[in-house]
Amino acid sequence: MFRYESLEDCPLDEDEDAFQGLGEEDEEIDQFNDDTFGSGAVDDDWQEAHERLAELEEKLPAAVNEQTGNGERDEMDLLGDHEENLAERLSKMVIENELEDPAIMTAVQTRPVLQPQPGSLNSSIWDGSEVLRRIRGPLLAQEMPAVSVLEYALPQRTPQAPEDDRDLSERALPRRSTSPVIGSPPVRAVPIGTPPKQMAVPSFNQQILCPKPVHVRPPMPPRYPAPYGERMSPNQLCSVPNSSLLGHPFPPSVPPVLSPLQRAQLLGGAQLQPGRMSPSQFARVPGFVGSPLAAAMNPKLLQGRVGQMLPPAPGFRAFFSAPPPATPPPPQQHPPGPGPHLQNLRSQAPMFRPDTTHLHPQHRRLLHQRQQQNRNQHRNLNGAGDRGSHRSSHHDHLRKDPYANLMLQREKDWVSKIQMMQLQSTDPYLDDFYYQNYFEKLEKLSAAEEVQGDGPKKERTKLITPQVAKLEHTYKPVQFEGSLGKLTVSSVNNPRKMIDAVVTSRSEDDETKEKQVRDKRRKTLVIIEKTYSLLLDVEDYERRYLLSLEEERPALMEERKHKICSMYDNLRGKLPGQERPSDDHFVQIMCIRKGKRMVARILPFLSTEQAADILMTTARSLPFLIKKDAQDEVLPCLLSPFSLLVYHLPSVTVTSLLQQLMNLPQSAAAPAPSNPHLTAVLQNKFGLSLLLVVLSRGEDLQSSDPAAESTQNNQWTEVMFTATQELLRIPQAALAKPLSIPTNLVSLFSRYVDRQKLNLLETKLQLVQGIR
Amino acid sequence: MNYMPGTASLIEDIDKKHLVLLRDGRTLIGFLRSIDQFANLVLHQTVERIHVGKKYGDIPRGIFVVRGENVVLLGEIDLEKESDTPLQQVSIEEILEEQRVEQQTRLEAEKLKVQALKDRGLSLPRADTLDEY
Repeated sequence: MFRYESLEDCPLDEDEDAFQGLGEEDEEIDQFNDDTFGSGAVDDDWQEAHERLAELEEKLPAAVNEQTGNGERDEMDLLGDHEENLAERLSKMVIENELEDPAIMTAVQTRPVLQPQPGSLNSSIWDGSEVLRRIRGPLLAQEMPAVSVLEYALPQRTPQAPEDDRDLSERALPRRSTSPVIGSPPVRAVPIGTPPKQMAVPSFNQQILCPKPVHVRPPMPPRYPAPYGERMSPNQLCSVPNSSLLGHPFPPSVPPVLSPLQRAQLLGGAQLQPGRMSPSQFARVPGFVGSPLAAAMNPKLLQGRVGQMLPPAPGFRAFFSAPPPATPPPPQQHPPGPGPHLQNLRSQAPMFRPDTTHLHPQHRRLLHQRQQQNRNQHRNLNGAGDRGSHRSSHHDHLRKDPYANLMLQREKDWVSKIQMMQLQSTDPYLDDFYYQNYFEKLEKLSAAEEVQGDGPKKERTKLITPQVAKLEHTYKPVQFEGSLGKLTVSSVNNPRKMIDAVVTSRSEDDETKEKQVRDKRRKTLVIIEKTYSLLLDVEDYERRYLLSLEEERPALMEERKHKICSMYDNLRGKLPGQERPSDDHFVQIMCIRKGKRMVARILPFLSTEQAADILMTTARSLPFLIKKDAQDEVLPCLLSPFSLLVYHLPSVTVTSLLQQLMNLPQSAAAPAPSNPHLTAVLQNKFGLSLLLVVLSRGEDLQSSDPAAESTQNNQWTEVMFTATQELLRIPQAALAKPLSIPTNLVSLFSRYVDRQKLNLLETKLQLVQGIR
Repeated sequence: MNYMPGTASLIEDIDKKHLVLLRDGRTLIGFLRSIDQFANLVLHQTVERIHVGKKYGDIPRGIFVVRGENVVLLGEIDLEKESDTPLQQVSIEEILEEQRVEQQTRLEAEKLKVQALKDRGLSLPRADTLDEY
């Protein structure tokens, strides 16, 4: 606790005092609180001192209109025996205030103070600072011009016109920034976590302790807060580095003996208190309530902003000179006063913070526009502008919300800037694919709409993310000067091996079957993932091609080809022998849903032979695949790429493909009684559709090329015969519904079967349009 | 003014009344006063609202500072529509009692279920002992 006798002592002095007081005590006890164990407890009774203070302040409300003399004396008493310096300063301070208004000085002490908890440090700190404030306030404004905003969660504001519009970000950055690039919230002279100045008004206390769920207006009926925009948050008030009072009556030689904490508290104490109201409020409140508030405000004003100071002050005086005014001047009178001054200020202030330069120029422009819009908005609100019910109700709330704008504009910009920085990307297409695509689509849509309709172009605000050039960073390991040899420093770029982990591959024997299966599946999944990455790259080549330079293009093409080959190898399994050893690898991939989808996407990129190979493999193992696909039902996605492929296949391939599909015996020897392969194919949507596609293609080939080679023709005819036989055998009920039915199948079958059977086939396969 | 069009940002939500759902299941209602880049929130005049069935109770909590990672979702409360709810507000004691009762019934049901499974020789796997694929 600060003892009033030693107000101006710095903490160092206090320690000395403690030492003197506790000379013979243990060293341990020296560290203890002076007040509890030392001279403070013995010599000084803080409770008494506090009671003195409390009495004092109870007395004062009755003495509002007393002259400053009283106040002076009281103040002197409060301080007890102080040094001459202090007395000097005090008297000067009093003189200074007298110039402004005698009533103000007394009124300051009127503020009731919360009852301190016994033994709490806080109360005394704040008490002390109250007194100190009056002395130190203007001093500090001069002494610490460069200290940035001191943040206090005080709800009230002074009626300092639409200053909060003026973006504080335009001010120079605080000296100390936590990050080199972006600004940070201003340095706190008060350690983070210090409670704000106590709420003086009891009603406010209640509000804090038991807030109602809905927004409670401060329960002070005569309270008419200044219109939104006029009020400046307490934070902003403190932030003025240059005060018109720099030409200060106090000699600069006055030593700042206070610790930074005390200093901060003073400044904080010099802040507005919740009990204060704007002059507009004050104007409507008679006498007692008004004057202390205005008085409390005045020292604040002394520190106030350039250009804002003088207009309000005379305004105040006007209020004071006629207390209480019969017809309170409307709040709107206020803004015109400081308005022109502010205008001047604004035009002079630099428009951009130096640290916004790293933003994209368009973003900076947007920020600037936004600021101007805000100002316009607030100017409108100050008048009688009604901007729609929703808006006005919102601003209504804001107007009456004494806690609004706790977060400064500057801080909002800071957060905004961080978020923008997070959006910085060297390759937005890569990092933010979906966002980019979405907005491209939107723009195309709107452009298309625009072309069609001649409506006014809808201005869609677009987020312009900062563009950052890609920089090559070569890692240089840290080198120590003067060290013998090279010291290795382990860092994220230069990791050191911490654990000696040896990879042991499991032997096949001692694993159970399940594990083997699981491992195999896992391997397949990994292969699918790798191939998918390749696929995405390949699909992206078109875009890269367009963006690239001429010289780079051949290289790009090479890369693309190479990747396609790798994809194919992955699909079919590497290490090809003379012939693909087994379809197993491919079948495994095809058993997995993602694998099937991937194959569908890869097919367009493969060459015809490769694709045909894939198709054949699929046809061979189709029943198995169908069985595995029962749950996923993804096979139909393969139909369209396969169809496309089939229409490019030569006759030979088509024939063999058909054979594979229907599992027709090579020789036209005795046909098997049942053909489960074909049955399975026919019972599946995909299978049947594929079959029909193949048949259709065959028909196309036949009809388009009558002079085709006879061998091929013969083969085809044979296969067709067998095929039709099989088809006739299958009961209709077992057939699936194909995805699409080619139109030329009727003519196809008509070649190979007679009328009767043709009809049968037609009905069975529902080849005729009418039958569905 | 839209700070960052096309993005989600809390800046426009400042000084408005919000309902915040936390990861531990609590529902807070308060005025959003300040944010930062991690979506840490400062809520003012906060009230913790407990819902049980059709009733709810409010516990005034004062100022809350919520670490961003603990927020599940938050949304602005329309002050005009706020009172337009079919729910019934009750006192704090009552709602706490209701909550306790609900908790108890749930625990008992859970116990019965576990017992029934045990009787049949089955056991519900605990989340922390589940095998990976």
